[in-house]
Amino acid sequence: MRITKLLVENFKSFKERFEVEFTEGLNIVVGDNEAGKSTILEAINLALTGFYINRPLRGELNQYLFNETSVRNYLDSLKGGAPESPPQILIELYLTDEEPMLSGDFNRDRIASSGIHVSIEFNEEYRAEYEALIAAGELKTLPIEYYHVIWKSFSRELITARSIPIKCAYIDSTSARYQNGSDVYIGRIVKDLLSPEEIVSVSQSHRQMKETFMGAPAIDAINKKITVASKITDKEIKISVELSSKNAWESGLMTYLNEIPFHFIGKGEQSIVKTNLALAHEKAKEASVVLIEEPENHLSHSKLNQLINTIKVSCIKKQVIVTTHSSFVANKLGLNSLILLDNKKTLRLNKLSLGTWSFFEKISGYDTLRLVLCKKAILVEGDSDELVVQKAYKDIHGALPIENCVEVISVGISFLRFLEIAEKLEKQVSVVTDNDGDVPALLKKYSEYLGAKKKPYIDICYDSVVDVGALMIGGKPFNYNTLEPKLIKSNGLAKMNLVLGTAYLDDQGLQVHMRANKTECALKVFDSKLEIAYPDYILDSIK
Amino acid sequence: MNRLVIASAGSGKTNLIVKSAVDDAKAGKRVLITTFTEACEHEIRSKIIQLNGCVPASVDIITWFSFLIRHGVKPFQGCLFDFDTKGMLLVSGRSGLKFQGKMFPVYWGEDDFEKFYFTEDKRIYSDKLAQLVVRLQEASKGLVFERIRRCYEKIYIDEVQDLAGYDLEVLDLLFKIDSDVLLVGDPRQATYATNNSRKNKKYVKSAIVNFFLDERLGIDIDDTSLQVNHRCAPAICDYSNKLFPNMNPATSGNRDVTGHDGVFLVVKEKLGQYLESFQPVQLRDSIKTETDSNYKSMNFGKSKGLTLGRVLIYPSAPMVKWMCNNDAELTQAARSKFYVALTRAKNSVGIVVSKTEVKKITDLDVYE
Repeated sequence: MRITKLLVENFKSFKERFEVEFTEGLNIVVGDNEAGKSTILEAINLALTGFYINRPLRGELNQYLFNETSVRNYLDSLKGGAPESPPQILIELYLTDEEPMLSGDFNRDRIASSGIHVSIEFNEEYRAEYEALIAAGELKTLPIEYYHVIWKSFSRELITARSIPIKCAYIDSTSARYQNGSDVYIGRIVKDLLSPEEIVSVSQSHRQMKETFMGAPAIDAINKKITVASKITDKEIKISVELSSKNAWESGLMTYLNEIPFHFIGKGEQSIVKTNLALAHEKAKEASVVLIEEPENHLSHSKLNQLINTIKVSCIKKQVIVTTHSSFVANKLGLNSLILLDNKKTLRLNKLSLGTWSFFEKISGYDTLRLVLCKKAILVEGDSDELVVQKAYKDIHGALPIENCVEVISVGISFLRFLEIAEKLEKQVSVVTDNDGDVPALLKKYSEYLGAKKKPYIDICYDSVVDVGALMIGGKPFNYNTLEPKLIKSNGLAKMNLVLGTAYLDDQGLQVHMRANKTECALKVFDSKLEIAYPDYILDSIK
Repeated sequence: MNRLVIASAGSGKTNLIVKSAVDDAKAGKRVLITTFTEACEHEIRSKIIQLNGCVPASVDIITWFSFLIRHGVKPFQGCLFDFDTKGMLLVSGRSGLKFQGKMFPVYWGEDDFEKFYFTEDKRIYSDKLAQLVVRLQEASKGLVFERIRRCYEKIYIDEVQDLAGYDLEVLDLLFKIDSDVLLVGDPRQATYATNNSRKNKKYVKSAIVNFFLDERLGIDIDDTSLQVNHRCAPAICDYSNKLFPNMNPATSGNRDVTGHDGVFLVVKEKLGQYLESFQPVQLRDSIKTETDSNYKSMNFGKSKGLTLGRVLIYPSAPMVKWMCNNDAELTQAARSKFYVALTRAKNSVGIVVSKTEVKKITDLDVYE
């Protein structure tokens, strides 16, 4: 059993109805900060466990769970004389259909499906109190004390975490703790691993331990002393251990790793242990859901690599939903599992060709997420091109591209791989490429993006003029059709000597110098205060 | 194969359900047990606990009305209406009065959907619950019972004689799905009806058996395998058989001897002494009947499904008439109630009568 779809409304940053679909196995949610990635995981966890940030939701209701704009609109409407009804949070989790008890049409679209409904809504039983409150006209915050949580299956039955066959582990490096410092997640994960019989025997042992403690002669002696010494009351006073809570052992026990309390070990190791524990958990019948928030946090590159391998191996039988900012994580786990979250809409990258996603999986260093997350991307071949394009952009637009959410990305020779991603996302992309003296070859290479097949959002920028000359280097003809000779051509020898701080007497000398010192020259261009004339194809790319 | 077992009180109908359900659960099947009264639901629950230590997780025991609401209405109510139902209103007559006309009352028709099915505060009228389930099955194009099929492989219905009207249409729909249905009941104990609907009027109460005779339903009717009344002493069993001369008589399987066994007439003057000596549970027609408040009392209807040691019956006037003369008219309902009251006791039944009545009753011993 797994999650097929999540729908939220009015929950935190999601004001309007928002939907995201999930596939089996791995799902990677990427998005900018504040895009709502964590909120998606929180909503799923809430629907499956009834917990919000490690506490039962019922006890944790507050105004900040609601979309801020909705709350403001509501409060304003009360002042304006056309009152709206109090806002309501809706979370619907659609599930595959293995558990008929959860099936019904209690969802927004009245679709027959299995699923879970969570709403936080005004409790109609408080209508009278609410009416009085409105009449007094003093409502400045949401009247959250009159709200209640409705947690039902799609068959309109009240449910508990017990009645949901999906078990969920939520792994988040910002770990919350019980009062005694033991980690909530790890406690829960460990508990999930145990069978009901084992849980009973653990809690009984825990109880026995407490009872032994209470029966110890030393405690008895202390209690006698207290009773005699206390003048506060006639009643007997004694110290004892707390036995009331039936789950006391969870909060009373601590997890140790090599004799070190769990929360004293490094954050990175904590993440790995938690993830591994969660992923190892397998109750034969029930497929589980593992939610992982930004696994890259606190991890070195090699530890991250280990963790990702574990995730990949384990997710064959589980549904894993990961949020990440790291291209490495995304590439490694598989770009075809990517769900892009942008402006409260989702986009899937699931039809990439096998070649392309396996390329990025193997060569995981590429900044694919920069392309996925930016407003516009300019793809260039190498570092020197990147610097010059950035400089040109700054000269024209008065700001560096990144300040306008435009990414300039060095892609080496992998232009077509990146373009495939851009095409799936319909992302604004300019490709800056040398013609290398062979325009027909270039036209053939980019034939999917040129002429009749030109995509409105993809521009291939190159110099259509092929320059020629007599210069030979190491017995081979010099390539006159790369950025450096084109810069010399558009600025002239004197200007370029000034920019680069050189004193070559002819073009050839400068051409040889620039070819041998590409990055250094590009840095000089980048830092130059002089006005530089850029080749047209560069200017085209930054329009 | 769907099966109906007809058997008398005390013959182990409920035990049959309990045993089969526990076996099913052990075989990994999901089981629903439903019955009309809450008392009977508790009885089933405690019998399962006796047998198995606990109610297996895969066995759901709910009343018929809960079953209709939880599995019939709620899952796909979106097909017909959108609001949140606030449970059910138990009605005994016809619900949904539009206005009281000069000659006769006028009721809302089904076209006024909300008014017909629901109270002002959105509770479903109990007499129309089954009808709503049938309508939802139609509106959802069969999703309602398809879901029930997937929820339960085995369905047990106890006290089936209490079902009436659209309940029978619901049974019909249950028979059509793949789940195995076992119904048990005793037409002699038809004291209640879940509703007074005009639908299927001809099958109401003890005539319900005729409904199952319809061959299209494909029900296997079994009225022979459970004929021994294990609960009641022979004299009680024999006397109760007299109420239904046309049905297979039950034979007693209770051979206990306590020193006070059988059916006895108790004159009012001896009541105190009798109560003190035997501590029987007092059974009465309704709360209006005066009983001794020092001892436990219960209405006839409420006692259905229970096993008691000794009972003391406060009969209604028609019941007394019948005792005097077995050919005297006794309505179906009263007959059933009397039968239920008699068959609660394992050992002894006392029947409260006046001195003058005692003389007219010839076939029972008198408590001295």
